[in-house]
Amino acid sequence: MTDALLTSARAALAAAPPTGDPAYARYCRELAERLADHWPAVLKANAQDVTLAGERGLSPVLLDRLRLTDAHLGRLQQLTRAALSELAEVTAPDAGVPVGDWGVRLRTPKPLGVVFMVYEARPTVTVEGALLPVAVGNAVLLRGGKEIARTNGALSVVAREALEAAGLPAHLVTVLDDPDRTQLRALLKRPDAVDVLIPRGSPSLIDYCRSASSIPVIASGGGVNHLYVHRSADLDLAAEVALDSKLPEPTACNTAEMLLVDAEVAGDLVSAILRAAERDDRQVAVRLDPRVPRPGGRTGHRPWRIEDLHEHDLGREFLDATIGVRAVDGLDEALAHIRRYGSGHTEGVLARDAGVSAEFTRRADAAAIVVNGSLRLHDGPTLGLGSEISISTGRMHVRGPVTLGSLVTHSWVVEARGTLRSPLTASRP
Amino acid sequence: MITQLDRAAVTESVKRVVIAESRLSLRPADIEDHEPLNGEILRVNSLGFVGMLVRLEDELDIVLPDDLFVGRSFHTVHDLIEIVLSAAQASR
Repeated sequence: MTDALLTSARAALAAAPPTGDPAYARYCRELAERLADHWPAVLKANAQDVTLAGERGLSPVLLDRLRLTDAHLGRLQQLTRAALSELAEVTAPDAGVPVGDWGVRLRTPKPLGVVFMVYEARPTVTVEGALLPVAVGNAVLLRGGKEIARTNGALSVVAREALEAAGLPAHLVTVLDDPDRTQLRALLKRPDAVDVLIPRGSPSLIDYCRSASSIPVIASGGGVNHLYVHRSADLDLAAEVALDSKLPEPTACNTAEMLLVDAEVAGDLVSAILRAAERDDRQVAVRLDPRVPRPGGRTGHRPWRIEDLHEHDLGREFLDATIGVRAVDGLDEALAHIRRYGSGHTEGVLARDAGVSAEFTRRADAAAIVVNGSLRLHDGPTLGLGSEISISTGRMHVRGPVTLGSLVTHSWVVEARGTLRSPLTASRP
Repeated sequence: MITQLDRAAVTESVKRVVIAESRLSLRPADIEDHEPLNGEILRVNSLGFVGMLVRLEDELDIVLPDDLFVGRSFHTVHDLIEIVLSAAQASR
């Protein structure tokens, strides 16, 4: 079964037109249209998944992750339009660079190959996976959780129809419908047939893919993200940045978990955070380490609460509206903390002293470093980098937003005009 | 029959997996058996079960049923250890 899947995917990859062919733009348009056409059937299948998951005891929060609504359709159609608008730039021919007096070198985009996406229970990932890698010529195998099996079945029909209407091989998208982990293991052991692995989901799943397979992985290591607040910072701005980095999407990978603040301004920063929370009635739990002075004398309505920061909070993602505050003795201690506990996703510095910001930027190591702003700015569309399928914390190939441009490799094209290597080599000193 | 060594191995593996799943920088020894799976320290939810199952299967060299966690009531690390132990026993 695994062999048949891989043979079909590789055959589709081989039969597909080159990256940049107009068929891929047609595919984006067809996918958007057919999503709308089939949306009632997709919602019906999704309702069955949600009902079954409820009967199996999934919590309301998790059921919400499975559930699709009309708002999801709007966002997915917007994504197809965005991808369509980005295709031309990503696949544009390279103008070329002269090499000596004998030729020109240029790069032409090529697909990464067969991409295997493993994820859990967010059905929108099925559409993202069927769209972004395929739009630049890759074949994809999509393995979602069995909690969304029926939804994925309906979305598989949408992708298949869109491919056929666009004139692309039908097996460029394969939605796996076998929940058996044996198949997952078998695919992870096929670096000969799978070129890239993109796991999205729980830390266990991502760790497993990284350790159990020799297939190159594009993955996020999660976001244990920090904001360093230097004593020169505008503390009111720092408070606003901290809350904006946390509260709108507390479970997102680019959210802030910990403020590392110079000890001499730690108490003032906490006061500023509480004032900012009270202004907009934003619910937030602030965990303070023993070196941070506790706020006193505040009365009236409090949307915030103060808690103790524990050792086990260092290096964790709270995944809710909780943020830690730890006092440090300057930049060196903040950077040491980040090196020990950070996940290399997003780190930030708040300082009026430009020298401190420059030093932080030079020494901190993460996929993105934000200076005097919200950590949630680390996002492909927001940064003007384009639509993203994930944010990578890996060090090779792609780091940060995984955009269409990250889902292609390239060939060097050498316009040699009849040049032979031997005379060139002989002429070198 | 599960030996004491097996219990120790399962306990270690389960704790390692729930630590990873909760995105914590702790050692298995830092987690008590009675620690809630979804509480102050650990944050484990059922959507992470695929990753947890494959990791446990590989670490313990056992095969666990797909529906291992379905319909079970488990709230603490100890509950999870007992479920995996019983499944491991059945798989041998």
